[in-house]
Amino acid sequence: MGYLGMDVAAMTTNDWLGVFFALVSAIGMVVVYFMVFRPANKATFESQRSMALDDEDHINVGEKR
Amino acid sequence: MEATQATPVKYDMEVVRWFTIAAAIYAVVGTLVGVYIALELAFPFLNFDIPYITFGRLRPLHTNAVIFAFGGCVLMATGFYMVQRTGATKLWSNGLAWFTFWAWNLIIVSAVVTLPLGFTSGKEYAELEWPIDIAIAVVWLSFGLNHLMTVAIRKTTHIYVSNWFTMGMIVMITYLHVVNSMAIPVSLTNSFSIYSGVQDAMIQWWWGHNAVGFYLTGGFLGIMYYFVPKQSGRPVFSYRLSVLHFWALTFGYVWLGAHHLQYTALPDWTGSLGAAVSLAMIIPSWGGAMNGMMTLSGAWDKLRTDYILRFLVVALAFYAMSTFEGPVMSIKSVNALSHYTDWTVGHVHSGALGWMAMVAYGAMYHMIKKLWGVEKMYSEGLVNVHFWLATIGTVVYIVAMWVSGIMQGLMWRDYDEYGTLTYTFVESVSAMHPYYAMRAVGGLIFHIGTLIALYNIVMTVSRAGATRAAGSVTAKA
Repeated sequence: MGYLGMDVAAMTTNDWLGVFFALVSAIGMVVVYFMVFRPANKATFESQRSMALDDEDHINVGEKR
Repeated sequence: MEATQATPVKYDMEVVRWFTIAAAIYAVVGTLVGVYIALELAFPFLNFDIPYITFGRLRPLHTNAVIFAFGGCVLMATGFYMVQRTGATKLWSNGLAWFTFWAWNLIIVSAVVTLPLGFTSGKEYAELEWPIDIAIAVVWLSFGLNHLMTVAIRKTTHIYVSNWFTMGMIVMITYLHVVNSMAIPVSLTNSFSIYSGVQDAMIQWWWGHNAVGFYLTGGFLGIMYYFVPKQSGRPVFSYRLSVLHFWALTFGYVWLGAHHLQYTALPDWTGSLGAAVSLAMIIPSWGGAMNGMMTLSGAWDKLRTDYILRFLVVALAFYAMSTFEGPVMSIKSVNALSHYTDWTVGHVHSGALGWMAMVAYGAMYHMIKKLWGVEKMYSEGLVNVHFWLATIGTVVYIVAMWVSGIMQGLMWRDYDEYGTLTYTFVESVSAMHPYYAMRAVGGLIFHIGTLIALYNIVMTVSRAGATRAAGSVTAKA
């Protein structure tokens, strides 16, 4: 446990900023996992699967060559 | 897809064409310099006592040429291509895109001049001196602003995942480049980092690994998520997984840099954190690689005849391999053996040659056919030859470095019964010679592939131009 010990009194502004961003990242990741794997969102996400393929019809390479 | 896309859109693709051709040229130049410095390590007389071509000066030229010249031009070409097509809109500013093209090339020229002259900040992958660093920031922001604004004016409601990867790269590379390049200038050609000691090392590897993470990985993943579906004619296997892939890399990658500094003056916990997050990153990385591979479900037979698709699929295989190897190397007990050895060089090249260059060429071949309106490349056979040269060259290179790296690590840590080192450092250098020669051969094979690609691209473009000219004459007649 000593390895993971935290001397709060000795923490600098940079340390606190680091803690803040670490927590924001961790919470953000949990939120993303929840959103992505929520069954109700599946259809919304997967409706974009073929977006890259759908741009084939309207290619019209412009400008001079 | 949105109804607005039914209307034909005229894109700004001339600048994309120029970026693509420039990338093909820079790949030849960058790998040529790489082969030469590999030969210098195997046969040091090739320095010829000329300071401008010593390993120390040409090595940063090689890395800058392949990463920022070749890789940068590929990222900007594909970035502008994908954002227009998936957004069904022209670029926000075609003029700004041309500024980006010419200014980026001017920066590359300045690197070609200053690095052999010995002007360097000494920071790996960020060697260019402060005036060029400022120019890089300005030009990179011009690319970023144009891309972000083109996303903003898109005609589609959804922002395709490839554009998210590109935008993530733009934001993070701006932040990383500016912070890492902070320096006190003492003259036009010399400066000192504002950081010192272990902080300088940490900032350096925070930049160094994230250049890999957001530029060479994130940016090229954007390419993968667009061009693998396009070339295979199959939708992305799982769009949800692609979203998760993006956010996991974005949240996770920034913590990894410290794993480059195990067993140094850096606090021990920092390296442990870097290693722990590195291992965690295997999950999204492999998820993304599998997502790309599974996109070929029902289209695997195309690999028999579609040589461009081969580039993209083998790139994914190397991506999976590199993103497993990297985290393993970050574990302290493995790092104790691998660090400072050629194993690291092999790892970097399995990513750079196997992943980045392969996926780049897959995208370039695909784009060239679209951009010049041709059904096939000048020679589909030469695309296949290029594919095999690239694959074999990469494998020869990384096998040589694996063997020499592990041998180095074992020789350096070997003690005799009296507790003294069994081998001198010079003996380990001598033992590396066959593998250094083998590495140069692998690099040469890969380099020949880039030459063939350039020839094929030039012939395709010139033939397309001749066909158009003939069509124009016929129409007038």
